[in-house]
Amino acid sequence: MDDIFQDEIVRAEGLKKVFTLSRKQQKIEKTGLTRKVAVDGLSFSAYRGEIYGLLGPNGAGKTTTLRMLSTLIKPDGGDAYILGHSILKEPAMVRDCVGFLTSELKLEAFFTPDYLFDFFGAMHGVDKDTLASRKKELFSRFGIDRFAQVKVGDLSTGMKQKVSLVISIVHDPDVLIFDEPTNGLDVLTAKVVTDFLAELKGMGKSIILSTHIFSLVEKLCDRVGVIIDGKMAQEGSLQALCGEKSLEERFFEIYHSLKGEIV
Amino acid sequence: MKLLALIKKEFYRFFHDPKLIVTILLPGIIIFLIYNVIGAFMNETEPVNYDYKVCVAGTSATSGAFTALVGEAVKESDSKVEFTVSTAEEGKAAVEKGEADACLVFSENFGEAAGGSVEIYYDGARDASSSFYGIASAVLQASAMRFAVVGHNFETTENLGKTVFAGLLPFLVAIFIFSACMSVTLESVAGEKERGTLATILATSAKRHEIALGKILPLSCISALGAASSFLGVALSLPKLVGTGFGVLGGYAFGHYALLFLLILSIVPLIVSAIACVSTLSRSVKEASAYTSVIMILVMVVSILSIFLSSLGNWYVAVPVLNAVISMGKVLGGELAIWQSLVSVGANLLYTALLVFLISKMFSSERIMFGK
Repeated sequence: MDDIFQDEIVRAEGLKKVFTLSRKQQKIEKTGLTRKVAVDGLSFSAYRGEIYGLLGPNGAGKTTTLRMLSTLIKPDGGDAYILGHSILKEPAMVRDCVGFLTSELKLEAFFTPDYLFDFFGAMHGVDKDTLASRKKELFSRFGIDRFAQVKVGDLSTGMKQKVSLVISIVHDPDVLIFDEPTNGLDVLTAKVVTDFLAELKGMGKSIILSTHIFSLVEKLCDRVGVIIDGKMAQEGSLQALCGEKSLEERFFEIYHSLKGEIV
Repeated sequence: MKLLALIKKEFYRFFHDPKLIVTILLPGIIIFLIYNVIGAFMNETEPVNYDYKVCVAGTSATSGAFTALVGEAVKESDSKVEFTVSTAEEGKAAVEKGEADACLVFSENFGEAAGGSVEIYYDGARDASSSFYGIASAVLQASAMRFAVVGHNFETTENLGKTVFAGLLPFLVAIFIFSACMSVTLESVAGEKERGTLATILATSAKRHEIALGKILPLSCISALGAASSFLGVALSLPKLVGTGFGVLGGYAFGHYALLFLLILSIVPLIVSAIACVSTLSRSVKEASAYTSVIMILVMVVSILSIFLSSLGNWYVAVPVLNAVISMGKVLGGELAIWQSLVSVGANLLYTALLVFLISKMFSSERIMFGK
């Protein structure tokens, strides 16, 4: 193992999440079962300065895992530790060292990026001077300073995503949890986001990235966990996982071996 | 610091949105205008010239000066008055029989430094008697001297002036407070939950009770502003609507206004918390509106019931909303119901604290906050 991977920053131990399905959800899922195991005993670790990719099809349990790691929801079994803090026992400590970016967390359309940055900075207890210098640096880095006083409701999808990204790291967290960060973005904004993820990695941040875009994983991730039906199907470095094959080929091999034909 | 940031955000949201300001302040202005217009039409009758017959008991030099003042006021309204000296019993009997329009009974110490009182016996069912009572009470209350004016109405139903205030106003105040609380709380709590912006705040390290208080405190202040607007709209236009004049408002002392203010202040956070609770439970503003309508009906029923329940025991002080409405009724009826009002305020604040605790627990519940 490289030196850079010596520090274990995130450790998930047998994470399990079961959802109760309403009748409506049973209809949508075409099942008569009242409970669905979304995440089933998931364990993995992420180290300082690495990007760990969670790869899987829709409904595999990627987002549920990330929501548990960011303490938005509690696991029904197992636990996870972020910088040594248990997501079950110390959720507030975890929230202070985690930046979570997901489409589920929205920004109030009425406010400007400038106001929201200050607001969320205060919510994370960042002092005013640090907040001012971070705002200057990040707004300039993403070109937000050009629309800092425009209400979020009037911004384009790409601009909104940039603002969301910047606000998710307002408190300079050591761990970044990004759920499908390039979804719905045009190629230019997607490149800005992926470049920034690489930059953050270079700064020694630990990033957990959920995606179903193979090229993004190949470009950014040091290690990958393939999740299928809430379980860890395969895990390892890209090289160890794929060998001479492409990630896409390898993923479908794994999927086929577990689920049979793709329909 | 986090609580302060949350409070500032709510205020910023409200005071930087002209639409919200208009929504909250407009009802009071509209009520004032509508009631005044209705009142102007209702009271647009030809002035009637009366020839009042009034018995006076307990006369003295000071009381003579006051009856003269009343006489002048009567002349100004193009009516006439004839004062007849009698005993209090004779005078009251004459009013009851309809032989006299009113009977003024001055206390022995009337006009002395200690105060004294004057009782006015009249029959509210008769126009002339009611009209004289209005003139006499207004003149006597406008006097700079300290004495009590006590009206005795022989009419079987209570006289209109304070009765309308005591019976109708608390009901209207409760409804206006509810409307004001509803418009801001639904948007701020259910709206934020529906739009996913509340989840963004929950993802920070702010404690759940801070987030709950960060909603309830500013929303209560904003709702109180809306309630004050509606209250002023009603209070300033009701005398015009019922044709009693502003003398009724002057009949209340500072203590009455202070108690009213406290009662209103206690009911606002309670209703805001109740609506916030329902909004937190709901998945959308639409769903929250439906549940809130049920609470509104309950508040309306309780407020109407308060008119009939006021003569019951003091158990009402423990019932949220009802306690404030009945206490307001008592205060507006002229009674300085201090302990009932203060216990009601305390009880309402206690219920508010319990609801805030409940909301913070709900914020921690993933089934409520993130359940599909």
